Amino acid sequence: MTRENNLFLGFVGLFALVNVFLFTTGKLPADWTGAGTMLAAGLTLALYSFLYRDNPLFKFAEHVFVGVSAAYIFGITWYQSLYGEIVVRLFGIGDDGNSGNHLLLVVPTILGLLMLTRFSQKIGWLSRIAFAFFVGVGAGFTIPRYISAFLIEQMEPTMRALEWSADGFNAILILIGVVAVLVYFLFSVEHTGAVGKISKVGIWFLMISFGASFGYTIMGRLSLLIGRIRFLLDDWLHLM
Amino acid sequence: MERLINIDRRIIFVFIFFGTLVPLLYPTPFPIEPSKEVRSTYEEFERVAKLNDPAVLLSYSYGASTEPEIQPMVVAILRHCFANDIKVVGICLWPEASGLAQPAMEAIAAEYGKTYGEDYAFMGYKPGLQAVIINMGQNFHDAFPKDTRGTPVGEIALTSNINSLTDFDFIFDFASGDSIEYWWIPYGKREVPFAGGCTAVMAPDLYPFLQSGQLKGLLGGLVGAAEYEALIDHPESATAGMSAQSITHLIIIAFILFGNLAYFATRRGA
Repeated sequence: MTRENNLFLGFVGLFALVNVFLFTTGKLPADWTGAGTMLAAGLTLALYSFLYRDNPLFKFAEHVFVGVSAAYIFGITWYQSLYGEIVVRLFGIGDDGNSGNHLLLVVPTILGLLMLTRFSQKIGWLSRIAFAFFVGVGAGFTIPRYISAFLIEQMEPTMRALEWSADGFNAILILIGVVAVLVYFLFSVEHTGAVGKISKVGIWFLMISFGASFGYTIMGRLSLLIGRIRFLLDDWLHLM
Repeated sequence: MERLINIDRRIIFVFIFFGTLVPLLYPTPFPIEPSKEVRSTYEEFERVAKLNDPAVLLSYSYGASTEPEIQPMVVAILRHCFANDIKVVGICLWPEASGLAQPAMEAIAAEYGKTYGEDYAFMGYKPGLQAVIINMGQNFHDAFPKDTRGTPVGEIALTSNINSLTDFDFIFDFASGDSIEYWWIPYGKREVPFAGGCTAVMAPDLYPFLQSGQLKGLLGGLVGAAEYEALIDHPESATAGMSAQSITHLIIIAFILFGNLAYFATRRGA
């Protein structure tokens, strides 16, 4: 028997012993809630076992997660979207009389069905009608809203009036940062002389922003770890 | 020195594990000073509380994978709302959010003696991402014809007079994806004040929207939730996680410094 197999059996055995202890001492209730907590703890530990090495427990937990997520999203989408919006509101099946008559829903329903024709080589061209509608509407909605939200409204704080305060200093920093980073991404001009110096300032601004993003990423990942360890210590082992 | 640079990453994991475990078992209180963006979110809710018959829309756009970061924010903000008699309408733009947000709303509402339909309502999940926001901006009853209990929104006291997004006094989105930046900010109603709570990973991308006023406030990650808990004077899970967060950050800073020193030492020796 290899060292890996011993570790695997030892881990499963220890997990079983701990759960027997928790159930017999009444720390975990002998009902579905207790069973759910035990299962969640087992899956959490199985997923974290990847930190040691890839192993069958991790693979099992990973596949369970993918399967359960897919089934959950399918169920929610069926009841909230396909059943709730089309079967009930369009066809009136299962309607309690409060949904009203929504004949206009025929249009998106047909367009949705046309998308499914892509699976057929013979009538697959029909899907282009649905895609053309989707792209057209998407572009129509997106372009003006994105220009407004991400360009025009973002230009305002860049051009704010300067003042002797912390906000005024921030406004100068933003202005310098925006100009320097834009110059850095100006590839049609050789980065020498003044342009080269300004683009170097741009690199510094970019590096600082990458550092901030990385710091926040570490904080986020550790928060998730803290959440899981809190669950194991509190909900499962009752040590907190 | 070469061996120290190529340290087995599992040793770092062990340090991080104990750096998390020990402060959780033996908590050491760390001072929590609310940041400007968290304070401005709090002040928005305080402003709304002074209005006549205030109602806010809480949009839940998160899932199980970010529950440790977002759920403490949900709980803290619901507490703030219910403690100040702010009426709350909850919607979900992510399918997973229903199962996390609904129990939280019901538990906190019960704690403050709030009545479903009068003080709070839960509309559940609606697929469509930004299309749902556009739809709510035009006709709230069309976007959400019924709540999760099957009651038509026109028959619920709280939602019967809410015809579009502009009937809300404030909108807050709990996000672990695109919802703040790519759904609410471009497609939400500019005239309704809007703020958000997000995972720490997303927070740096959202700061420019604070400068422009498109976001009235921002809660970034677990620390944002802890700061909010400090503001409402109700320390809970986020506050409890702060000492572990601080210790693990110190461990990582130590490893970064150590790695850089070892790197420069080997380069000098070469």
